[in-house]
Amino acid sequence: MAVRMDVTPALRCRGLRRRYGDLIAVDGVSFEIALGETYGLLGPNGAGKTTVISMVAGVLRADAGEVSVAGQPMTPRTPAVKARIGYVPQDVALYPDLSGRENLRFFARLYGLSRAEARSRVAEVLETIGLAERARDPVGEYSGGMKRRLNIGVGLLHQPRLLILDEPTVGVDPQSRNAILASVEALATGGMAVLYTTHYMEEAQRLCDRVGVIDNGRLVAEGTVRELTALVGEHDRVVLAADGDLPAAAEKLRTVAGVREVSVGAGRLELLCGDGRAALPEILACLASAGVAVRSVELREPDLEAVFLHLTGKSLRD
Amino acid sequence: MKALAIAAVNVRRTLRERTSLFFIVLFPMLLILVLGMAFGGTFEPRVGIAAPAREPLAQELVERLRAADGIDVRVHEREDEVVAAVERGDLEAGLVVPGGYDAAVTGQGRAIVRYVVRPGIQGQQVGSVVTAVVDEEAGRLRAARVASAETGLPFDVALGRVDGVAASAPTVTVAVRTAGEADFPENLGRFDLMASSQLLLFIFLTSLTGASALIETRRLGVTRRMLATPVRAGTVVLGEALGRFAVAVLQGVIIMSGAALVFGVDWGAPLPAVLLMVAFALLASGAGLLMGAVARTSEQAVAVGVLLGMAFGALGGAMMPLELFSRTMRAVAHLTPHAWAVDGYAELVRRGGGLLDVLPQIGVLIAGAAALLALASWRLHRVLAN
Ligand SMILES: Nc1ncnc2c1ncn2[C@@H]1O[C@H](COP(=O)(O)OP(=O)(O)O)[C@@H](O)[C@H]1O
Ligand SMILES: [Mg+2]
Repeated sequence: MAVRMDVTPALRCRGLRRRYGDLIAVDGVSFEIALGETYGLLGPNGAGKTTVISMVAGVLRADAGEVSVAGQPMTPRTPAVKARIGYVPQDVALYPDLSGRENLRFFARLYGLSRAEARSRVAEVLETIGLAERARDPVGEYSGGMKRRLNIGVGLLHQPRLLILDEPTVGVDPQSRNAILASVEALATGGMAVLYTTHYMEEAQRLCDRVGVIDNGRLVAEGTVRELTALVGEHDRVVLAADGDLPAAAEKLRTVAGVREVSVGAGRLELLCGDGRAALPEILACLASAGVAVRSVELREPDLEAVFLHLTGKSLRD
Repeated sequence: MKALAIAAVNVRRTLRERTSLFFIVLFPMLLILVLGMAFGGTFEPRVGIAAPAREPLAQELVERLRAADGIDVRVHEREDEVVAAVERGDLEAGLVVPGGYDAAVTGQGRAIVRYVVRPGIQGQQVGSVVTAVVDEEAGRLRAARVASAETGLPFDVALGRVDGVAASAPTVTVAVRTAGEADFPENLGRFDLMASSQLLLFIFLTSLTGASALIETRRLGVTRRMLATPVRAGTVVLGEALGRFAVAVLQGVIIMSGAALVFGVDWGAPLPAVLLMVAFALLASGAGLLMGAVARTSEQAVAVGVLLGMAFGALGGAMMPLELFSRTMRAVAHLTPHAWAVDGYAELVRRGGGLLDVLPQIGVLIAGAAALLALASWRLHRVLAN
């Protein structure tokens, strides 16, 4: 007789839907996160990441669909299940006039830790996030990176098995960002399941075992980074910094042989090509004829940006 | 327990903020002081008196003055002390009984009692009280002197006779009866009237504007984050309500004890006075919670809160005594919680009422509080339940 392994996923979402007035922000999203797995939700601003996360964390009612955490159904009305999740919201949600330690103590109490437990866990978390020295200072006096770290620290107090991070590196200096990514990696290595949203494909590539690509409230693809890049096929991504009438130039570029997708950003064109190197001379000629001055050209191997462009015809960053 | 943690954070944040402490405590105390100085005129004028210590009749005059209503008699050792104190304004008036007073009144001499007074209407009022006492004493002494001369009895025996006769002889007195009760009794301390109205005005103002803390907590995303912890929305609402209530009661306790200690304010019987404040604070925190559920921004809550707080205060008799209102306006005033609480304090402070006398007011306030809290919780619940 085989030993029956516990296969209940850390998180399971089925058919999540949510609308705000006429806008359907999340439209039938389903995914699962295995125990100890790091799962990324990758999508541009407004894709619906925060809305998904809010329903998963039980702070937002879903219009349809269900969430279960370690097999237990989660809704805004099931407080007990919330103890299984560490939720780190996108915006820093802390009292600026209280100290770092006071904020942590407060949330530790809400997570149901006893006074003694709270004291020792707060001290541990302060060490983990590297804020022990500034624990007495009001959070309002912290730098952006320190606030972000404390914001994450709150989600770790009760040692959850599932940590949900909503774009934790937005607006953070590169050094703090690196520290945050490293600590998420460390937590994942320690066996914590992580749901991580971002619109930076580098972060998804670096951290995530599997990535769900989300756009307009729908999950358009899912898989490991390798599986996803394979979707694009043998395609290169060409990124051009250019000045001129870019939309018109994009129209022309679509007729160039080998060019599959073209997306226009501010002073930027992004193309998917079968063979970037081969197509490049013709692309540049086409742009010259369209009166567009090219400032720089970048040629990239398939990555998640290319996947997103391939799947949606849009660039991840606007 | 978690509700208490939320309430405690509320109190902690309020106490930490310097400006809010100014408005919660210092400002109302200052107003009690300033308004009390300006309008609270019904205090007892101080009259200093210096009389020879070893002369029994002189001391008797002092005792009679002490017994007189409406003046606060202070005994000094020396004549020049009294005069100097009146000149400085430490006393409204002074009376100097010269040495040899007893000899003069029992013998054939003339005793001249000097009266020193500050210019102004108060000096005149005090003058009439002092003159009446001195006149009565002079009449008594004169009668004793006549009796002593006619009968040959020693003066002190004759004085005893006079007192005996005076007790039994029919005399003419003018019976003065006041119709109705005095709105503001003579013995009302100068700060008493202002203190209760400032207490109510500021508890209510603070509670309404304190709604901004609630909105701020929501805007910061902290409320939402609380809901991501194993805490029910109802617990969050309860915690916030408890926090606002604790701040209001704390404010009430500080103002009441501060005013009593610093300005000698009389709040009436302590237990009912505190209960009345607590009931009012409960209602005020209900109003604050409702504001926190309805207002969109904290600026809006502060602006509307100040406006409503002042309007309710003015309408409810916390700025101008209800006694000066017309009958209709007085009825309208009782749509505000202030009027009920003002009535309650009038009962306690001016008419010496007890708990039973203010039970109706406490009842009305608690009923109002229950209604507001229910409405606010329901609204807040809906806001949080998105
Ligand atoms: N409270 C809200 N009311 C109305 N629209 C909202 C609200 N929150 C989000 N949206 C809209 O829903 C869509 C998805 O938003 P969001 O989940 O925040 O996206 P993301 O986190 O991926 O940037 C966006 O178009 C956004 O404008
Ligand atoms: Mg978001």
